[in-house]
Order: sequence, then structure tokens, then C-alpha cells
Amino acid sequence: MEAKSEITGRVLEVVASPGQQLAEDDPIVVLESMKMEIAVTAPRAGTLREIKVGVDDLVEEDQVVALMDPA
Amino acid sequence: MSLRADARPAPDDLRARLDLVRAAKRAVGDAARAEALARQRARGKLTARERIAALADPGSFVEAGALVRPRDQPDAPGDGVVTGSARIGGRPVSIVANDFSVMGGSSGEAGARKTLRQTQASLDHGIPYVSLLDGGGHRIQEGLDSRHFAAVSTNFQQLVDLSGWAPICAAMMGSGFAGPSNMSALADFVVMVRGATMGIAGPALVKAATGEDIDKEALGGAAAQADRHGIADLAVDTDAEALEAIRRFLSYFPSNAAEPLPIQPCDDPADRREEALLDLVPANTRRAYDVRKVLAAVADRESLFELKPGYARNVVTSLARLGGRPVGIIANQPLHLAGTLDSPACEKAAHFIALCDAFGLPLVFFVDIPGFLVGSPAEKSGLVRRSARIIHELGKATVPRLSVVLRKGYGLGFIAMNGGRSFGADLTVAWPSAEICAMSIEGATDVAFGREIAAAPDPAARRAELIAGFRARVGPLEAAEGFGVDDLIDPRDTRPVLVEALSRLAPRRRGRARPPKHRDISPI
Repeated sequence: MEAKSEITGRVLEVVASPGQQLAEDDPIVVLESMKMEIAVTAPRAGTLREIKVGVDDLVEEDQVVALMDPA
Repeated sequence: MSLRADARPAPDDLRARLDLVRAAKRAVGDAARAEALARQRARGKLTARERIAALADPGSFVEAGALVRPRDQPDAPGDGVVTGSARIGGRPVSIVANDFSVMGGSSGEAGARKTLRQTQASLDHGIPYVSLLDGGGHRIQEGLDSRHFAAVSTNFQQLVDLSGWAPICAAMMGSGFAGPSNMSALADFVVMVRGATMGIAGPALVKAATGEDIDKEALGGAAAQADRHGIADLAVDTDAEALEAIRRFLSYFPSNAAEPLPIQPCDDPADRREEALLDLVPANTRRAYDVRKVLAAVADRESLFELKPGYARNVVTSLARLGGRPVGIIANQPLHLAGTLDSPACEKAAHFIALCDAFGLPLVFFVDIPGFLVGSPAEKSGLVRRSARIIHELGKATVPRLSVVLRKGYGLGFIAMNGGRSFGADLTVAWPSAEICAMSIEGATDVAFGREIAAAPDPAARRAELIAGFRARVGPLEAAEGFGVDDLIDPRDTRPVLVEALSRLAPRRRGRARPPKHRDISPI
């Protein structure tokens, strides 16, 4: 299961870590875009497997920022 | 003469003839067709007649053409479509329901004449048109024939004439590729039952035409067509929910554009002040929040009916009531895409403006927009022209329009959200959190003063100084001083302020000089 960014932006903060249990819509990373903080969230409940971006990385629209294993 | 398709001579006695008529009517009813309907029921679906019964006020359906059958198809009762008039909430409507148990709900020549007649009834009498779609489009047995198809007549002209005159609703309740989807595309409201499909063509035709191998759910299921593409306004789980959604949708609308709005008694006090409104919108413009909570606190309790909730979630379009009066609400949603307007959001909002304006629903805007989405994906989607569609619809609209600036009102986005004076908003109020200007202060400073900042002895200090200088000119009081807003209000008063304004505004604005043209030309 992939968590994708809906918008182009820069990674401001990584707020979850691999192995963590997440509920649907829990934030994984926070981007800065359009002068706002926009969270990339878990598409469904599950376990976070891998985060593919780090702070200050540029993320594009539809880019996969994290992989999850569905609950 | 005969009373039967099998051409037995009719009896001389009128009572005996009446018995034959009754028997013929019974034969096309659900009770006599249990075997043919078993498949429909096995899939958890209602029959065409059960759907009509669930949709309409009890006992109100008056069917026309129940005894129709095509000449060469002995087992095609009604020619696959049930048509007639009924009442919803006491008001007359036209209903056309495909009968999937008859040749897959496909549209035959006689059935098409029934459908056309019912569409014409909506036009003539100014009553909503409701189509319950469940079937395979044009009947293949008839359609593979140039003599037949070249001369085929559809109800498209009547549906276009009906557009904006009486509400048009479509429920996608089964197989809806091709014909049913073409019809639904002309509807004002489309509800889709999960498991149903819609699209230009189904998987078999796609495979034959292009080689693409895709199953019907991925191609045209609700997750695609309602949630991702916004082709349907709403996706629900059952037939019953779809029919209830149509009843609910119609409750906000007059029967036609000449009728007044259906104003309902309202037990939610007009002067209700909502304390929570002080804390729902963070003053820090970098923080997102769910604007639907603001709408729920302001509108009449339980009155919000969101259209396209899963599609273009960066803008919320919702029917609602304020003091019992139906309104259309358009609100930026900072939770998604920072609340910017992108191409899907523009289409969603523009269509909604047209819908509300056609039937006299005042428009209420809740503004918190950092601007239109920028960047190459946005340009590739044709956002320049698509954004103009909102402007175009606002420019055409004659219903009252009210704006509440919650927070950001930046650039063309502010104008497209009916902010300020561009479209002569009947009421523009702002919360103390409002921040209205042409573009984001930081970005604009870098663009306009980049060289000056770079040349300064301490560039960072010069940049901060410039930003602070502009920030001092951007605020709610400054907007009020320039009379770009009518007033700054306590967020808790939002409901009373809107209800009061709506109660005194004329239902339509008149008198704007228009040149003697035939029509406008939409940007898309």
C-alpha cells in the first residue's frame, strides 16, 4: 500500500517512523506547499514499512512517499 | 379485433374484455414475473417497480405504457422501461425506470417512445425528471441496422431543453456503460450505487477497440467514476439509499425555474450563535482545518447535503438550508491541496454555481484560498481556461450571493470565490482572521524586490523588513477601511448575519444592461 503526495512541495517534517501502527488519515510526513503545512497521510489503517523521503526533499504530485502494510 | 398479441378474437361482453385487460396488466407486474426477476433480486437489487415505489410517495405512481410490447418480442413487457408520473414530497415528477429483467434493460424503439413522452411531460408541465438507469443502452438486436439507427430518435434535445427548467436526476443502479451514462451526463444530479458501472463503453467494447484489458469495476465503478472522476455526484451502497438521495436532493429545489424556493419550517433558531466557531479556524495561516465543521456550525442542523464529497475535495459544494431557505454553499477546504482551486475543483464549483443559479438557490461562499494551484501539472490540466469557467458562471448568475472571508483571500482565487466587489456580492463579511491581498506576501516580495534584497548589506534583514512593511497593510481592518468588505463580524454571529441577509434580499437581481446577444460562450 502506497502513501502518495497529492501536491508538489518540500518535506518539512517526518512525523511517523517505520514499524509504527497507523490509523487511516494519520500523518506520515508534513510537506510545505502553497505556504501551508500539508500532511501526507495513511490511505488506510496499517503498519508503516518504509518512508522514502527525508526533510527538505522536493516531492512531486502523486509521488510515493511511504509504503505501508495494510492492517 | 383482438385484445391479445396472440390474436384470439375478443369476446363480445365488455366485462369479459375487462377481465382480459386486467389479466394483461397482471402479466407484466412483478408478481407474475417472479422467475424473470429472480436474478435481479439475487443481486440484492430492487425491481424497476419496487424502485419506483420506494422513490415516490406511497400509491402516487401513475404508469403510462405498461401494456407496451414490441411487435416481434413476445416476452418484453413494457419494452423494458417503466414510465409515468408520481409525487415526491407531494410534488409531481416524471419517472423513467429501466427494467433490467427485460432484454437487459436495453432501449428498444417502443421503450424509447415512452421515455421521450415522459421527458416531454417534464418540459410541458415543469416537473422534475428522474431516470432510474439499469441497462445496456441501445438494443443491439435493433441497433445493428442502418435503416433503423440512422433514423433513431433520442430524448437528448428534450433533456437539453429541460436543463435549467426542471431538475434532472439520474440514478445509476446497474450496468450503465454507454446509453445510460450518456443520459446521466445531462443530469443535474447523479447518484451511483456501489457495484453499478458507468462510462462511455464497457470492458468488452474497450478490449475490442483498443486492446486494453480492464475489468468493469476498475473502468467504470463508483470508486473511479464518483470518487476519482466526479462523473457521479454521490456513491451509495444500496438501491434504497440512492432513491432516498434523490428525494433529498429534490427537497432543496423548486419543481421548475419559475416556482419559488421550497422554504421549510425551521426549528434551528435563526439567531443561534456558535461558540465553537471561535476555535475552528486557526489564525496561523500555515495550519489546515476541516471547513465542513464550520459549515455544520452555521447551516440549519442536519441540512448539509454535500455533492461530490469524494471528488475535488479541495472545494466543498453542499446544498444546505439557512433559516429553512435552501442555499448552495461553496467553501475552500484547506485539508486538501491547501484549499487551492485546481481544474477538477473549478469544474465542480462552476457546475454547482450553474445548478443553484438555474433554480434560484442563493450562493454562500466560505473563503479561505491561497490561490489557484500553480505548477506544471496545473497548467497541463488547462487551469487557465478552467478557472475562467467559475468566473463565467459567477458573471452570469443572478441569484443572491454572499461571502464570508474566513482567512486567506488571495489573488484571482479570492475573486473566483465571489470575494470583494468584482461580482457585486450582496453581502461580503470577513472574520477577524481575514487576510486579503493579491498574492502571498513572502512570494510577492521575492518577485518584486529580489534585486533590492540581494543588493542590501544584510539581505535577510532587508527581506524581513519589506515583508513586515507589507504585512502591516494586509489585514481585516484594512479591507474594511477600503470598503472591500461590508463588515467584520464575530465568527459566532455568522449564522445570524447570513440568515438575516437572506431574508431581505430580492430573489433575483435585475436591471443589469446586457447587449442583445443570443448566448454566452463558456470558456470550456
